[in-house]
Amino acid sequence: MSTARFVVSVIAVALSLSASLAAHHGAAAFDVGKKVVLKGTVAGWIYSNPHCLLSLDVVGEDGKVVRWIAEGQAPNVVYPAGYRKDSFNFGDQVTITVEPVKNGRPMGRILSAVLADGTTLGVANSSGTAPQPTR
Amino acid sequence: MDRGVGLIPVGILALTALSLAQAPPAQAPSPGGWRTPDWNKPPVTAANRKPAPRRNLTGMWAPADGAGGGTQAQGIPLKPNNGKPENALPYTPYGLELYKSHHALEGFDAVLPTEDNDPRNRCEPLGVPRSNHYNVRLTQIFQDDYKVLIAYEYDNRWRVIWTDGRQLPKVVDAGVDVGGEIREPRFFGYSVGRWLDDYTFQAETVGAMPDDRVWLDSTGRPISEKVHVTETFRRTDADTLVWSETIDDPKIYTRPVETMRMPMRLHDPRTDIQEYYCSPVEQENYNKLFGSGASSKGAP
Repeated sequence: MSTARFVVSVIAVALSLSASLAAHHGAAAFDVGKKVVLKGTVAGWIYSNPHCLLSLDVVGEDGKVVRWIAEGQAPNVVYPAGYRKDSFNFGDQVTITVEPVKNGRPMGRILSAVLADGTTLGVANSSGTAPQPTR
Repeated sequence: MDRGVGLIPVGILALTALSLAQAPPAQAPSPGGWRTPDWNKPPVTAANRKPAPRRNLTGMWAPADGAGGGTQAQGIPLKPNNGKPENALPYTPYGLELYKSHHALEGFDAVLPTEDNDPRNRCEPLGVPRSNHYNVRLTQIFQDDYKVLIAYEYDNRWRVIWTDGRQLPKVVDAGVDVGGEIREPRFFGYSVGRWLDDYTFQAETVGAMPDDRVWLDSTGRPISEKVHVTETFRRTDADTLVWSETIDDPKIYTRPVETMRMPMRLHDPRTDIQEYYCSPVEQENYNKLFGSGASSKGAP
């Protein structure tokens, strides 16, 4: 098990997350506007529909391991942001920033990720803005 | 009957325009020849604008505002479901009751994932018009002398709009009346189309599934088997198509509602489209690992 340190910073900033981020299941479950930064060891990465899922083992300040589950959008949506089927591999040490769920469980959706090789990826969600009416 | 310019040349100018429209861009990531979507195209300006081909919709299209431009998480783009009075839809009493019975994951009245009853989450086909309002991304349009075919990215769904002069069926209680024969309702309905002018194609669709099977959008706005969907596809230049839609559903809404005017941008026809689907198995796995826990009332 990794000894990676558990780093959590909750930043109550307005992230200006657009509606386009909530494509599959809505934003009701998420604490929109908060960020949690997690450094840990990859326990799994599922690259599938309707959402990609990253399992990350994070060691807390009390020394206990907490398994976080972080989701991205579907593969076709996260691909342009650089997420691939082999972006995360078992045992990798990575850092991710997530928007956590409201109920306090160790779950969230990925806002950014720093991979084992140092590559930084952005929001694992849709991008772009709402279309403007055009005549 | 109108014919596609790709099959019957109508002049040097039109041919030139068509060849320009279909010329692939010089640069696009293409690992191993598998071309990926280019979501960073330069805008169409007066300097690079090329004329639209005549009577031709063929191409690989995607929202001009980028990869997320067609997501429509807040519902139909011209009336987002955000609680603002100006975006309230003109429900009939029945339509309003139906809306209240829908527990959507998006929009002003969104519920938690464990509380929703969106037919999409049971992998039901979205049908028309909802396919126009759910994560519209790379959308292929093909046409020949008899039809226009639209292939959506989501769930590899496709629909046919007939252009051979056949009549739009009449909506009846049991489905539609086609030349005196009663036919069943369909998720993608019965569509016919025609060219209003050389650059504007109009499609009409009736015969949708009943209101307990389909929604208008992801915020739970309803639609019924009485809906008449009118779409226009207007080529404003070689690289741009404006996709508009109006619904007329007297069972649900007291007047027609214009739902979208979405500019679409032409993409390289060789672009590979990743699968984007609803799988009951993967849906169940997702709910087990994330969805159910994320929406529970508290920490375990």
